[in-house]
Formats: sequence, structure tokens, C-alpha cells
Amino acid sequence: MPNLTINGQSFFADAPPDTPLLWVIREDLRLTGTKFGCGMGLCGACTVHLDGHAVRSCMVKLSEVEGVSITTIEGLDPANAHPVQQAWVALQVPQCGYCQSGQIMQAAALLAVNPSPNDAEIVEAMNGNLCRCATYPRIVGAVKRAAELAKKGA
Amino acid sequence: MTTKLEENVVTRRQFLVRSAATAAGTFMSIALPSALASGTAQAAMGEGMAAYQPAIWFTITPDGKTTMHILKAEMGQHIGTAMAQIIAEELEVKWADVRLDTPLESVENFAIYGLAYTVNSGSITTEFDRIARAGAAGRMALIEAGAKVLGANAADCYAEDSRVIDKVSGRSIGYGEILQKVRIDRKFAYPDDLKAIKLKEFGTYKIIGKSVPALDIPAKTNGQAKFGMDVFLPGMVYGALVVPRTRYASKVLSIDESEAKKIPGFIKAVKIDDAMGKCTGWVVALADKFPTAVKASKVLKLKVDPGPYGKLSLNDIMEEFSELQKNSEASAAWVKEGDVDKGFAESDKVLDLEYTSDMVCHATMEPINATVHQAADGAWHVYTGTQSTSFARMTLSAYLSKVLKKKPEDIKVFVHQYVLGGGFGGKQDYDDILAAAYCSKEIGKPVKLIHTRETQFATSFPRTPTYHKLKAGIKDGELLAMNHDIVCGWMGPRFSVGKKYGTDWLQLDSWDEKKQDIDQWSIGGSDHWYDVKNQRVRAWNSDRTTWAVQASALRTVSNSYNMFVVESFMDEVAHAAGRDPLEFRLAMLNGKGSSRGIPNTGFPPGTPSDYYMDRLWISLPWPQEGTWIPYESATVGGALRLANCLRVAAGKAGWGAKKLPPNTGMGLAVSSAEERQSPTWVAGVAEVTVDPATGKYTINKVTIAMDMGMTINPTGAKAQIQGAALWGASQVMSERLTYKNGAIEQSNFHEYTPIRLAQTPEIDVEIIQTGRHPSGVGEPSSTVVAPAVANAIYNAVGVRVRHMPITAEAILEGLKKKA
Repeated sequence: MPNLTINGQSFFADAPPDTPLLWVIREDLRLTGTKFGCGMGLCGACTVHLDGHAVRSCMVKLSEVEGVSITTIEGLDPANAHPVQQAWVALQVPQCGYCQSGQIMQAAALLAVNPSPNDAEIVEAMNGNLCRCATYPRIVGAVKRAAELAKKGA
Repeated sequence: MTTKLEENVVTRRQFLVRSAATAAGTFMSIALPSALASGTAQAAMGEGMAAYQPAIWFTITPDGKTTMHILKAEMGQHIGTAMAQIIAEELEVKWADVRLDTPLESVENFAIYGLAYTVNSGSITTEFDRIARAGAAGRMALIEAGAKVLGANAADCYAEDSRVIDKVSGRSIGYGEILQKVRIDRKFAYPDDLKAIKLKEFGTYKIIGKSVPALDIPAKTNGQAKFGMDVFLPGMVYGALVVPRTRYASKVLSIDESEAKKIPGFIKAVKIDDAMGKCTGWVVALADKFPTAVKASKVLKLKVDPGPYGKLSLNDIMEEFSELQKNSEASAAWVKEGDVDKGFAESDKVLDLEYTSDMVCHATMEPINATVHQAADGAWHVYTGTQSTSFARMTLSAYLSKVLKKKPEDIKVFVHQYVLGGGFGGKQDYDDILAAAYCSKEIGKPVKLIHTRETQFATSFPRTPTYHKLKAGIKDGELLAMNHDIVCGWMGPRFSVGKKYGTDWLQLDSWDEKKQDIDQWSIGGSDHWYDVKNQRVRAWNSDRTTWAVQASALRTVSNSYNMFVVESFMDEVAHAAGRDPLEFRLAMLNGKGSSRGIPNTGFPPGTPSDYYMDRLWISLPWPQEGTWIPYESATVGGALRLANCLRVAAGKAGWGAKKLPPNTGMGLAVSSAEERQSPTWVAGVAEVTVDPATGKYTINKVTIAMDMGMTINPTGAKAQIQGAALWGASQVMSERLTYKNGAIEQSNFHEYTPIRLAQTPEIDVEIIQTGRHPSGVGEPSSTVVAPAVANAIYNAVGVRVRHMPITAEAILEGLKKKA
């Protein structure tokens, strides 16, 4: 039962070591912005950052994250104004909104390693994130807008 | 207090704008008491005015903030923002001061607000007029009160940006300040005074038609939006369902918990009482944590009687459908115009065609979940995101009355609405709520029941499979006669619709002397808008299918298959008649005969009418005698508006003009989903490239042109149109649910594969503003994509696929036959 570092804060996770990280985050620690969609790493709704990499938290066991810096949607930006979040609002991306935490975390991780992705790179990075409302056209536009905002230092 | 109470009783003939002092301060609210029986009005009142809470549409507080009370479910359509825009427009309230909230569902609030039910792309169509009038009435009351404070004539005053301004003196006063200074008590005779209000006209709007940012979006970008699954109650435990042996009607004979008991945190297995014929074969594992409950659910050993459908498979269903269709006597007529048989006899060319469609399901990103508990006072509280908090409450009351052997009225239920992680028609069943309540009763603690993706698929409410037989009679290049036979599992019976099920609620009679039940939700869309002199639609119900698969409503309901069939059929007829599919369609979308709209601006229910008029009432907001305020029918203009959309879409796509690569074609389709009574006019063009070696195809581009009368929020509308179009693309390309031995075969997103970003075509959306009564945008464009793709494939490689979804295998087979 490891101590976890989530959004810069330390937590003691009182759960069996094979518990998927997702359920510790959202039900035990009540950081409910991270969503459950499939439990098999197929939809991306539960995407969080582990040491900056986008990872499906439903596929990660609690025992695997000791000493890892975990970031959830709640900790992406202290003012909820990460360039990706700003772009998501500006382009009015979310519809039902359920998958969007995962989409945003995925996009933020992409821009961290590739500040100017082209269309093909955006599709490749974001294709694992399912959106049943099919907000896809706006997602592509918003990733590009976020890249611009990040360059301007927004 | 009796006298005072009587003074304050709201009658059905009054509409009140009132301010009142409460512990929380003064507020102004507006009540539309038509829904109030006098008894419930008294029940809603406490100690005189101080406790009177008549706020139905909005409440203004002295700080100037206006809270709009949104009864409609927020499931991605940003309906709260759109409805608030309509009210704010007439109320002249500053947009920055607008907030939203959702009323709690209870017996008392139901009496005030009416039915909370969000379906049918109907929210704007049915609510626009009355909420606009409510806003206007509020503005009039505020102007009168503001004028009094300013010492001005009300006639000299106007309202703007939450202020009342005196044109003569130039002085003004804010809405909040008015509330602090005077008490408003303005009565409007209902419906006459409200009817007399002159609403603003299209072209003069300040907020309607503007793309104000949706109020629900920021919370959906930072993890703060609260969905049903995000609820926590003190002491709650978790429930995970065991995947039931069959979709419906299996029975659990025994449960062996021995393995589950070895798991720390496991509490018990609960066999759900299926007293209402729901939750059949359901066993829920309860545990202190959800992963523990899931783990336990997988090691519970059940003995199960699979029930009547245990050996039923999709093939059996399809065979039954084609057998049923052979018995004309058992059919119910839905459309009957002219003389179809004579038309066929006089035709010089006859086509006989067979179409089929597979099941699909909602697969909302948020698996269905509910948290339920019984409070110390005995009342039951439900926390969930549902398309109908009202039906959720009523269903749970009815269920608990059976389980607890009490009268339904002795069971108090409150439903707390949360954001829906997708709806699409898939959140209007309440099995999970019943099961969570039953578990909660069993252990005396709050229970949060969450479907895993696997149990969600296993208990989904699919669109029925369908079988269609069509016949076209062509004479001199014209469609002289058509017959469309539809066999499927009607969803109505599951919702107790129909005489046979003890209620006439929302039930229509067949359009023939037999007056049988006919389920419009399963047949609608086949009553298309083309002017065809001789036409007939006949319907058969496979009751077994209804129950076995739990057939239900899925985005656009029957339009999703009927538009695929009708629009593919029209293309086939055009080609057979040697006509251009565009020109052929336009000639029949002429605004005459069966393609005409309702010409008037108000059609009181019950007025004798013809076939098309008769079906109007169902789209209207449940009119009650004496409270009827007519508004313009969404059908005004009829198919001429559809023709206009088709011209725009075809023109923008470059129909007949654009240079296309090899094995590439364009296809057209039009639709008036959702219902004929509440049409949103839409045309679509798909451009598709087929790989002749594999049969695989790519949708390169979809062009949509839509006339929804007027647009409340163009950015929001465009999102809905794009999303719905991609929903349609997903259905034709990649979604298929199958059924074997009584169970749904798909379990997760590796087997059921909705469209992803990489498959997303370019989408060009054109909104045509005609200034007519607004209609819904959440669904219609989804219906044109599948047939447009089918027609494009035909134009690309000459293969006609008469089944949805369209698979590469089917195209390849067609290519081989052709060769």
C-alpha cells in the first residue's frame, strides 16, 4: 500500500496493491475528473499523466506507481487555464463532457513533447480517446489552438 | 392563515410574477400555474408568502443575478444555455448575470414543473414559445414596478441589460434594486394575457442567434462537472452487477458466494427482486470498494434458468421477420394514400426490394450508474444522470410499492439530477435505479451501483433489428406507387404504450378501419415528405423481439433505419427511372399532397383532420384544455424547405460538377427527423471512395445543409450537427450489435467500435436561417449519412448494399456478382 504523489500532494492509498489506479484516484481520493469508461484501456476516459506521460489509469496497478508523479485533470494547471483547457473552452469542444478530461490530458501530453503537431500527429496521438458525441473535428482544431497559445506563453 | 392562503392560491387561469421576502432575501420568480391543480398549489405553500416557492422558469435575486431553472437534461446539447438565451432575450436580462440550476424531482415539484423528460430533439421546439412568453411577462412586470420606483409612466419605460430605463427622464434602475424597493405581484390571465404578449421577431434578437459560450463547458474542461458517478454519500457501499446469462427473462435459481467471501471487503450478493419485470436475472455483488465488488461479481457462481429466450439468436429473429411479413392480415397501416395496387398495375416498371438493418446500442461514454439511499425520514433519494427524473421517480415508487407492499403514494422519492455522460435515448430506463434501491434496502446503507462496460453492453437497450420489403411502381419515369412493409420489435410495449398494455399513452391507431395499435417510435420516418400519390406503409410487430432484446429508442429512433431504407430506395428508383437522383427528388419535394406542411399557426388538439394533421398533436407540449397558446408549426413550408436544403447541400458538395478520383462517388439523402410533426429539414451529401480490391471504403467528406427555422446558438447547433453526422457515419461504417442464445455478444470497445478520430471525414455544415419556429438539432443530421454513403457507394462502384451497417465484405460480394 504505497504513498502516492498526486497533483503534488502526498496521499496514502489504503487499497489492495492490484487495485487499478483509476479507482483510487476517483473513488478513494475523490478526484472525480478522471472518468471510468471501459476498464480495458480502450477509450481513454481515464487518462492521467505519470511523470508527464499520458497513461490509462484503469490499466495501471496501485503497486506500479510508487514514486511516480501523478497528475490528474484537477492538477493540470493551478488556475485551470492550461493552454489546452483554454483552447477547449475557446473552441467549445465538450458536448456531454464525459471523455474530455481524458482528451485534454492526452492533448497536453502530446504538446509537451511535440509543441507543433501536424494533423497526422494529432490523429495518431488522439485516436485512442473515444468520444461518443464525436467532438473530433473540434478536438483537432483545439489541439492546434492550444499549440499556438502555448507558444505565445498563454 | 386560511384567508391568506386562499388569496395566494394560484388558479389555472393565472400566471404570476411575484417577488417575495424569504430568509435568503427578496427574490422575484415567475410561475406558470397551468400545471397546478389547486390542491397541489396549497401543498406547495407554507407559511404565507415567505415560504412560497413558485419559481418555475427563473428567479431573479436582489444582487441582480438571474437563475434559470432548467428542467431538461444536460447531455451534451447545452440545452440549459439555449433555453436561458430564449428567456433572457425577452426578459432583457444581462447575459453575464445568468446562472442555471436544475429542479429537484419530487411529487411536489412535478405538480409545479410538469414532466421532466428530455427526448425526441424536442426541447426547443416544444419549449420555445412558452418560455419566451414567461420571459416577456417577467420583463413587463419589472418595467411596471421599475416605473413606479422611478416615478415614471410604464409606457415611457423599456428594459435593457437588467435595467428599466425611463425614456423621458433618462433615469434608470437595476432589476435587483427594483426587487429591494417594491413588491411585485402582477397577475396575467392565463392563457389570454399571455397570448396577447407580442414576442420579439426574428431579426430583432440580441441573444437568440448569438453563439454565447455554453454555460456548462468550463466545468467540463477542469474535472469539476458532476456526473452521476461522481456522487458520494456517507457510509455508502458499491454494487457491481454479475453479467446476466441473457438480456432478458432469465431467472437466478441459486448463488454460491463461497469464493467471493474470501475477498476482503466483499459484503454480500443480492438477487434483485424483478417485481416489475425489469432487472431480470440480476445479481449484484456489494463491497466496500468498487474494484472489490467487480472482483466478487466475477467469482459468484450462479445457477440460472435462461428463460424463454435462452436459445434465441439474431438469425431466428430475422427469419421470423420475413415470415411475419407474408401475412398481410396481421399488418397495421401507417400510411395509406391513393390506390397502391392500382398504381402498381398501371406501372411500366416495378421494383421489389428487400432491406435489413442490424442492432446498435447507445454505448454512452458514462456507463449507467445510480446511487440510492433511504433517508432517516423514510424518503428515498436517487442520485443519477437520467433523461427523465420524473419517470425515474415514478418507476422507483411503483417498484418499491410492490417490493415493500405499500401504496405508491406512501413511498416518497426524490431524484437528484446530475450531468449525463451521453444520453442518445439510452438513459430513459431505470433498471439500475431499482437495483441500487433494492440493494440499499437489503443492507440499510447508500449503494452506488456502477455498470462495468461489460455489464453495460450485456444489459443495453438496442435499436431493434429490422426487415423491410419495398415495392416501387414506375410509370413514364415517375414514382407512381410505393409500398413499404416494416417488421421489427416495437419499443412501445416496453414503455407500456398501447391499448394492449393497458394505456393509450402516446399511442396511435393504425390508419385504416382496424384501428390497431401502431408504434410511431418504431415506424416513424417511413412517412417521408415526398409527394407520392399512391403510397402505403404497413407495419408488423415482433413482440418476442421487443422483449428478448429489450428494443429501445436510439438517437432519432426509427428514423435511423427508415431513412436509410427510404433514401436508398428513392435512389434506386431514380436510377431505374433513368433520372438524376437530385432532380428526381426535387420534383417530388414540391410542397403539394403528402409533401405539404401544416399551413396554420395553431392547431388545437382534437380537431378533426386528415392523416398528416392527426399526427401533429404528439409533438406539442402536452396541451391541456383551456391553456392552449398556439404557435407556428415546425412543418410550415413542408417539403419545399427540404428541397431548399437539398439544393444547398448538393451545390456546396459540387454534385454533378466536382472532379472526383477513381472509384469515388457522391450520394444524396434528405430527412425530416425526428418526427413528421416536428421536422428539422436536413439534406446530406457523402463523398465516398471504395477500394475495389478489398471492398473497404472511406468517407472523404460529408456536406450537411439544415433548416431548423431559427438557430438559438449557432456554435452549439453546429457541434450537434457535426456530432450527429458522425454518429450516422459510425452507424453505417462500424457499429453492429449481435445476439446469440439470448445474450448480446459484444462486451467492450474492442468488439463494438464507434467511430474514432482517424475515421472522421471532413464535415461541411451549412445552417439555413428561415426565421421559422425553431426545431431540434441534436439528432436529425445523423439520419442522412448512412443512406448518402450507400448511394455514394453505388455511384462509385455500382454496388447497392441493402443492409446497415455497410461492410467491406458486402461491397466485395457485390463487386464479384457484378463482374
